Amino acid sequence: MLGVIIGVAAVITMIAIVEGGQAWLVHSLERMGTNLLFVWKKRLTVEERHLFAGRNTELRYDDALAIQQRFPDLLVAPIIELDGQLKAGERDYSGRITGTSPEYSEIRNFRPDSGRFISSTDIREWNRSLILGHTISEVLFGSQPAIGEEVKIADQRFTVIGVMEPKGEIYGHNYDEMVIIPISTALRFFKGTDKIQSMIIHVPNRQHMDEISGALHQFLVQRHEGVDDIRIRNQGEFLSAVDQTLLTFRIVLGGIAVIALLVGGIGIMNIMLVTVTERTREIGLRKAIGAKRQDILLQFLIESTTISVIGGCLGILVGILAAYGIGDLVAKAMPGGGDWGAVVQPTAILIAFGFAVGVGVGFGLFPAMKASKLDPAEALRYQ
Amino acid sequence: MLIQLKHIDKIYKAGQVDVPALIDINLQVERGEFVAIIGQSGSGKTTLLDIVGCLSRPTSGEYWLDGDHVNTLPDASLTGIRNRKIGFIFQTFHLLARKTALENVQLPLMYAGASRKAQQDKARELLTRVGLQDRLLHYSNQLSGGQQQRVAIARALANSPPLLLADEPTGNLDSQSGKDILALFEQLHHQGQTIVMITHDPLIAERAERRITLSDGRIVADEPAYQAAPVLG
Repeated sequence: MLGVIIGVAAVITMIAIVEGGQAWLVHSLERMGTNLLFVWKKRLTVEERHLFAGRNTELRYDDALAIQQRFPDLLVAPIIELDGQLKAGERDYSGRITGTSPEYSEIRNFRPDSGRFISSTDIREWNRSLILGHTISEVLFGSQPAIGEEVKIADQRFTVIGVMEPKGEIYGHNYDEMVIIPISTALRFFKGTDKIQSMIIHVPNRQHMDEISGALHQFLVQRHEGVDDIRIRNQGEFLSAVDQTLLTFRIVLGGIAVIALLVGGIGIMNIMLVTVTERTREIGLRKAIGAKRQDILLQFLIESTTISVIGGCLGILVGILAAYGIGDLVAKAMPGGGDWGAVVQPTAILIAFGFAVGVGVGFGLFPAMKASKLDPAEALRYQ
Repeated sequence: MLIQLKHIDKIYKAGQVDVPALIDINLQVERGEFVAIIGQSGSGKTTLLDIVGCLSRPTSGEYWLDGDHVNTLPDASLTGIRNRKIGFIFQTFHLLARKTALENVQLPLMYAGASRKAQQDKARELLTRVGLQDRLLHYSNQLSGGQQQRVAIARALANSPPLLLADEPTGNLDSQSGKDILALFEQLHHQGQTIVMITHDPLIAERAERRITLSDGRIVADEPAYQAAPVLG
């Protein structure tokens, strides 16, 4: 029975932990935002520049607005990045300032912790509104509330309207060190042009990513008077690399599960086989006093089924408890692992239970079948 | 006549070599006899008991038990014969350790198809008869050797078989328990029970009324016991 319990528990725990790891990986990818297209301007060669001189070959704020109008289902966030110095009283901070639109927050799944994000009014009225990343807010204001405070960028006075939630670093980009202002304000006060650097576009349906990417490309080339100076990268391409990683993960998971099943199965088998000598004598005795072969097989079938099923149920219980226990430990031990947890799959439970009961009944019944074929005289004196 | 063996041979195969265990055994046992079979170890007495008890089949010869020509019957019929016509008592008791005395005695009744109530009533009666009425619910490992052998005797008597077969029944007991068990056998014998007992101890064989001596697979003597054995002590 112990063998069955350990076997089942081991399989369930291992699968739950690996599944937990996988779920965590998927989740951390989703934090980055999903179904995204990245649009930016391709650098033209000297020849191309010469060739296309006089044509409209820049990525402009208008392009973003036109896309939003032409494809109303998409969320479009134009982006411009500047270097600048922020001053708040005695403290200052030099770094990257991002100008973007209200859609950015939703596209990146990145939301204000307090205050609010850029609004369409901010964009329309070139408001000097400022949103600080979590870390920057601490740099400039310590633990004091930053909302409503004044910050100077160059000679312009900005008002802090929001502080973003902590999000950490994802693929080299530290969200907590972002400084965000309305894109219209950035263009008007710091650039004096309407050239933007890039756009991030969210596509509602992942199946249509390629299709929409193509349509956008065509639309922009048309706006740029036939010059193909646009590059669009599909996050799907990136995600397919991630899918590869996940596939590897699943293969590893499968391997671990098979090994756990084998180890569990061997444990069960051993415990069933250890009692063979004793059981063979018992079978000899039962035959001597009048048990028919089918009486003995039925008895052993019932016995090993009962033991396997009870052991299997206990194993499920132990396995689930162990999985959540270990999951908790991992979550506490891992930096940023707060949302890490074991995932107990019903399939894993079914497979582990079925396999353990199968092995248990098989190895309970098999020696009984062999022993019941012996002469009672032989079985009685089996050593 | 309860037992009739005619020209019984039993040959074991050890690899390529044939090892004869019994050679041309002819033996008759009447109802009500108390027969001791003695011989050195390796003389074939256990093999003979196996054949008489239908636990294995002779290589050749005829075996009649209580009117049945048993060596021609299929395994399933032999199972029934063992259940109803033979009670076994072994040197190592062969009780089931995880069952109580009562449950051990119930087993042959269960395999005979008796109702649970009938099994329990009969088992209780038999255990009372062998003096274990206050040990009914003890597990066999909670009983002394002598008590375990009494349970085994009660089990052997469960289906009131015409033949009781005992294989060194006192071999694992201290001398006092051994005497008590032998006294029980004698008592059963006086009640008309046919008993065939294997032993290597002449003092024990002396308690039987007939003594058969085996040597190298052959019967070398078949005589009334009280004439053959000198009374010691």
